Amino acid sequence: MKSPKAILNDTTLCTGCEKCVAACKEVNDLGPDVSRRWKMRIDDLSSTRYTSIERRTGDHNVRKFCRHCVEPACVSACLVGALQKTEEGPVVYDSDRCMGCRYCMNACPYGIPRYDWEEAVPLVRKCTMCYERITHGELPACVEACPYEATIFGDRDELLEIAHQRIKDNPGKYLDRVVGETEVGGTSVLYISDIPLDFLAYQPNLGDTPLPERTWAALSRVPTLVVGMTGLMAGMYWITNRRNQLAEEASGSEDEES
Amino acid sequence: MTGRQHGVKSLLWLIVGALSVVTVARFMNGLGATTNLNDASPWGLWIAFDVMAGVALAAGGFVLAATVHIFHIENYRCFVRPAILTALLGYTAVAVGLLYDLGLPWHIWHPLVFPQPHSVLFEVAMCVMLYLTVLFLEFSPVILEHPKLNNPLLIKLHKLITRVSIPLVIAGVVLSTLHQSSLGSLFLITPYRLHPLWYSPIIWVMFFVSAVGLGLLTVILESFFSAWLFGHKLHMNLLGGLGKAAAVVLAGYGLLRIGEVALRGELPAAFDGSFEGNTFLIEIAMSAVLPAVLFSMHRVRANPYALGWTALIGVLGIIGYRFDVCLVAFRRPMGVSYFPSWMELVVTLGIVAGATLVFIWFVEHLRVYPEEHSQAEADPASKPSSPAFATQGLGWILPESLAAPRRYSLAALVGSSLAIFFLPSDAIFGTEPMAVPVQESRSVEGVVRERGDAFGHELFVPDAEALTDPAASPSDRVAILTVIDGNRDGRLVLFDHENHETELDEADSCVLCHHENIPFQENSQCFSCHRDMYSTTDIFDHFGHVAHFDGNPGCVRCHESDGLPKTRENSKACEECHEDMLVEGTRVELPAEGQTGLAVGYMQAMHGLCITCHEERVEEQPEKYAARFAECNTCHREDNGSALRRLLPYLAKPAASESTIDLTAQADLITNRR
Repeated sequence: MKSPKAILNDTTLCTGCEKCVAACKEVNDLGPDVSRRWKMRIDDLSSTRYTSIERRTGDHNVRKFCRHCVEPACVSACLVGALQKTEEGPVVYDSDRCMGCRYCMNACPYGIPRYDWEEAVPLVRKCTMCYERITHGELPACVEACPYEATIFGDRDELLEIAHQRIKDNPGKYLDRVVGETEVGGTSVLYISDIPLDFLAYQPNLGDTPLPERTWAALSRVPTLVVGMTGLMAGMYWITNRRNQLAEEASGSEDEES
Repeated sequence: MTGRQHGVKSLLWLIVGALSVVTVARFMNGLGATTNLNDASPWGLWIAFDVMAGVALAAGGFVLAATVHIFHIENYRCFVRPAILTALLGYTAVAVGLLYDLGLPWHIWHPLVFPQPHSVLFEVAMCVMLYLTVLFLEFSPVILEHPKLNNPLLIKLHKLITRVSIPLVIAGVVLSTLHQSSLGSLFLITPYRLHPLWYSPIIWVMFFVSAVGLGLLTVILESFFSAWLFGHKLHMNLLGGLGKAAAVVLAGYGLLRIGEVALRGELPAAFDGSFEGNTFLIEIAMSAVLPAVLFSMHRVRANPYALGWTALIGVLGIIGYRFDVCLVAFRRPMGVSYFPSWMELVVTLGIVAGATLVFIWFVEHLRVYPEEHSQAEADPASKPSSPAFATQGLGWILPESLAAPRRYSLAALVGSSLAIFFLPSDAIFGTEPMAVPVQESRSVEGVVRERGDAFGHELFVPDAEALTDPAASPSDRVAILTVIDGNRDGRLVLFDHENHETELDEADSCVLCHHENIPFQENSQCFSCHRDMYSTTDIFDHFGHVAHFDGNPGCVRCHESDGLPKTRENSKACEECHEDMLVEGTRVELPAEGQTGLAVGYMQAMHGLCITCHEERVEEQPEKYAARFAECNTCHREDNGSALRRLLPYLAKPAASESTIDLTAQADLITNRR
């Protein structure tokens, strides 16, 4: 099996030049951004922008895009398997399967997937880690475009090593945490940073439990529930039926007696 | 037929008429054109009401079927058929509602061929599909027993279905248990978005128990509805029994909800006075406490008014629970909200109205209610003596003299006309990008500092003291800088106009950027033509030209070619008359030769002009300009929110009278976003 790929972002190296954004737009043919009611300036991600730079106070630039979780909530939420976690690492989307229920958009803890609200035939839009390109041995467009190696591509294990090495080699420069190493079961997009990156998700502490486990806990009960309820209902039917029969017989014999 | 029935049906047809118009708009122009959904609220009214609440409202079908057919509590048999019909229509309404809500509704069958069993939604979809089939089979005897359907094959089918009725009922109960609870399990995957007062690892139990309660309450309400509409008798003792059962179920539900929240230690959040806390309290009061307490009182159960109103409170409370989970207590990023558009409301109401019309049709043509009911209708003396429903009809809505089909056609026509009248232009022509008018650039006194690292200059606005302090840096030059921030979003660029003049050969340099002039102007500013931040805009003043050329006779002055449509492309080019409008030697490339009148978005214009020139510099004079000179952050520097705030004291008011922009509020807004 191929080793899963990942992207490591070093926010201390990012100058916010947005060349990644431009490259992404070009490769994915996304067209210009226009102002839409449903964008509402959440984080500038939209159906025409798969990656954006979040500018934080003090000249910190943090690139936001799909985290390609190791155990993605969106993939487990999709009822038709339109979203798939590939063995190369990216989470990819198959518009031929999608029914447009938008459960994936609710499920994502990072609020990444966006929708073509303006289209009569709308699709879910998000970063695919340039799946086509990386299967052909090319770099993702954003990584290729970055002039400062603030975002690098490689095997997830190796990138984790590099990240830890950088934190070790530059004491005090980074917060001692590789964001994405373990949270929600790990993500294929990793960050090392000198500021907390809580703002990338809906809540500061996501924990390490993969989200699909939470729904599976309920789903795995289905067979028991089916058997139990069927048994219970059939039993109740039999018992009450029998009771009525007995009551009828009793009243019948009473009639005979009288 | 009574005037009341006429009135109700006219009203329902009116809503269905409006629905038909919105339907066309929804499928022609998409969700963005007709709904208020957005990237942070992908589920709205249609999921919260039509699906979540709709499925729960239809729970009466399986509850009553189980009560009578499995538990053999025969008294309630008269409620089974209407309850099954309500469930059948309810689930059909859910499916129809889904067709509106799904982005690609023609893929609704995909779960059958691309199953993904790890998805809760897959389980819900399969259960709902199967249960809809079961409901149809459960209801089919009502159709098959119609005297006109005496085909031997149909009779055989009728017998067959009757024989498997008990397994069908059991299947219905099992399927309902599964998907009623799984609708709650859907939210297990959103622990970070659902408020802790609602998020629970056993939310599926809450959904199931509340659905059973809601099912019982719906049956009560429905009896009141048919008593009101058809004059059916109210079985007060039986309805009281249902109320008693609902009291037990809802008391259990309330204890479960409150106990579970308390066990997780989140109960204080209910009393902290926050919006969510108060919503929780109101919801619990309406869905559990009030109905459980009221229904446990004999006086309430014996009184038709009290019984009906209590059932209504409970129904609204449990629907409220679904709304809270789906919409109200569902976290969104700051500043993003959702409130349904009137078109979403019309679709929801229209589907309910359509289902109600079908219900009425079934009641009128088939034996949905047992015999005694129809007798009651025929014999006015035995009509229910419930005083609430004895009087006034709704006949006044439309004149009763009209024949029924005409009345209803007229009602639907009025409804659709109203809908057409109120349709927003997006819903008719498709969504247009929002206009973001560009605002005039402002200027500020700032500092130009040599960096000495082949990077050019650094522009910044220092604190007030530093500006007057000459010792800061000897190479500093104080200059008036232009603040380029067309949409005032804080992503401003400081532009050293003076330096650009010097670098680009003084007086001759103006034309390089100021490529076109508004008539009677020189060096028109960028924003005067590039009027929208992102979109291309038409800057041609047609009205002005019409007036100038004395109305209609003047058309041919520009639309010269006979027989061709009078479009921009078939008309005289602007520069043929306005010779001095276009300037020579500009750096700007106009896309269409010989035709103007269209200006690209401000951002595109700025980027095209600035970046191209900067890139050329890097390429031609690498010794003087480092690669960074051509990158975005050369111009887009610093943290914008704080930069704008620091700029506040220095900003010169724009010359135009439109100086009403509240900069402080803007700066706060930008800071709050961070």
